[in-house]
Amino acid sequence: MAVMKFPVVELAKDKFQVSVDMSLYAKEVIMATIYKFSHLFYIHQQTDTNNQTLVNVIFESKDNNMITEDIPKQFCNELIDQQIRYNTNAQFGHIRDMIVQEAFKPVTSK
Amino acid sequence: MAYQLLPFRFEWFNENEYLLTNEVGEYIFLQNNDFQRFVNGELDEHSELFYDIESKQIATTDKVEDVVQMLATKFRTKKSILRDFTSLHMVVPTLRCNSSCIYCQVARKNMDDHSADMTKKTAKNVVKTIFQSPSPCIKIEFQGGDPSTDFDMVKYIIEEAEWQNLFKKKELDFVICTNLTLLNKDMVKYLKKHKCMISTSLDGPKDLHDTNRPLQNKKLDHHAIFEKNLAMIRQIWGNNDCVSALMTTSKHSLGRFKDIIDEYIRLGFNNIFLRSLNPYGFAKQYKEKIAYPVEEFIANYKEGLDYIIELNKQGTFFVEGFAALLLKRILTPFATGFVDLQSPAGVGIAGAIYDYDGNVYVSDEARMMARFMNYYFKLGNVNENTYQEMFNGELLHHIIASACNECLPVCAECVFQPYCGADPVRNMSEQGDMVGFRPTNEMCKKTKAIIHYLFELLQKHDPEINRIFWSWLN
Repeated sequence: MAVMKFPVVELAKDKFQVSVDMSLYAKEVIMATIYKFSHLFYIHQQTDTNNQTLVNVIFESKDNNMITEDIPKQFCNELIDQQIRYNTNAQFGHIRDMIVQEAFKPVTSK
Repeated sequence: MAYQLLPFRFEWFNENEYLLTNEVGEYIFLQNNDFQRFVNGELDEHSELFYDIESKQIATTDKVEDVVQMLATKFRTKKSILRDFTSLHMVVPTLRCNSSCIYCQVARKNMDDHSADMTKKTAKNVVKTIFQSPSPCIKIEFQGGDPSTDFDMVKYIIEEAEWQNLFKKKELDFVICTNLTLLNKDMVKYLKKHKCMISTSLDGPKDLHDTNRPLQNKKLDHHAIFEKNLAMIRQIWGNNDCVSALMTTSKHSLGRFKDIIDEYIRLGFNNIFLRSLNPYGFAKQYKEKIAYPVEEFIANYKEGLDYIIELNKQGTFFVEGFAALLLKRILTPFATGFVDLQSPAGVGIAGAIYDYDGNVYVSDEARMMARFMNYYFKLGNVNENTYQEMFNGELLHHIIASACNECLPVCAECVFQPYCGADPVRNMSEQGDMVGFRPTNEMCKKTKAIIHYLFELLQKHDPEINRIFWSWLN
């Protein structure tokens, strides 16, 4: 059986790292996900020096918010939802623009 | 993919389901697996489930242009509140007040201090400015202080507006916001003659009302005078609809929502708006003494709403105003203007306030901020600026550009976005800029929690709850 590489690593007592595969997730998706967690933790992101397709997102405890393994896991789940939003928006974003444009189109009488 | 996805937003609603909403507020719950199949284009377009999704215009097998036409019509209807521009014009004839509410947001003046009374010149210019609004409906709402402390100025503005309206021929309404205690029979007869409705504050039973809203003269019994005058007003007017009441939740109100609701019913009101404390004025200054965590308000709100639903089940028609507003947005295609919760925000473009000195602010909350030396949201002054400078100026354009939740961070993707709104003034007051930061935004937490709870109730498919909810949507 193949061994699944878990993307969450505990770097120190109050520091976790999530390796995000850029072939699966867009840059905008990672940013949108980080935004939702940034009030709770210090978050750094950097491209993996050994593998340019990976972005390492590092969580560090901030104020009284002690970081546990659950947080990076929640981050991974949120990444999935954000990627779905990104993908679906690519399919219907132009339709949203069409709706708004049509709705606010000036009325012309014949 | 055999179908085209149409614009929608989604969020994990509970362990098993996603909630999806579209641009115009149609919604559907999908099981986790179904959601994944749906977004991956794997749903059978002839299945019952897909028909449901298609009926909500969240996906289509029809020509996209045709669906866009329909959605655009609905979207235009939902946004029709924008068509008329500013219709609510709040006017502050004076800052004098005989109350000393613990959460006062306006830095009131004592009864004998006339330094913050509006002059006739300013009043005339206020009315002149109001009538330059393109809106066919004008509502002038007297705020304070307590406007009844300068009733002559209230009368002057009413009559000036009626005179202007002989030429403008708009639908003109008046409302006076007062604690009722200074109103006498002659004043009430005048208000009735000029169709000026009365909006008052009632925070609950006597002990709570008097704790939150004591009169400056400690010898007087606020609640007793309130009750006596309420009866007098209704007797003169001939019905109960002439007076509406608003409550504010202070720390003392927590755990008392049932008592508050019972008091409203005892006094003949058939609705309540369970309202949390706004973070302005004393409410901000004395936060530790009278404010509370938003989570506590949410828990109390849910308990209050459950109690109201129960009362309705037992045959008492009684409406919770905030739930009714949100349900109208969730269940109907109609537009609902609500200055505090709409997108674009209603500040300046739906409502504006004219202070005693002629300063114009985008909202009552903006005026409250000015009391504490923050003039960011001041549009100008009726004695110095033209209507165009104030209402078509760079500042208002800038504010509104920052107040569309369709494009604010996190709001843009929020499943509750079609039912919610933006509040740049509150964001500025609480978080230091107009955009705000949603993950820690208290207004966002509160509104999301309440909408979520309404969806939980709708999801029960309880015919009795549904009947009650529909009965609230007049």
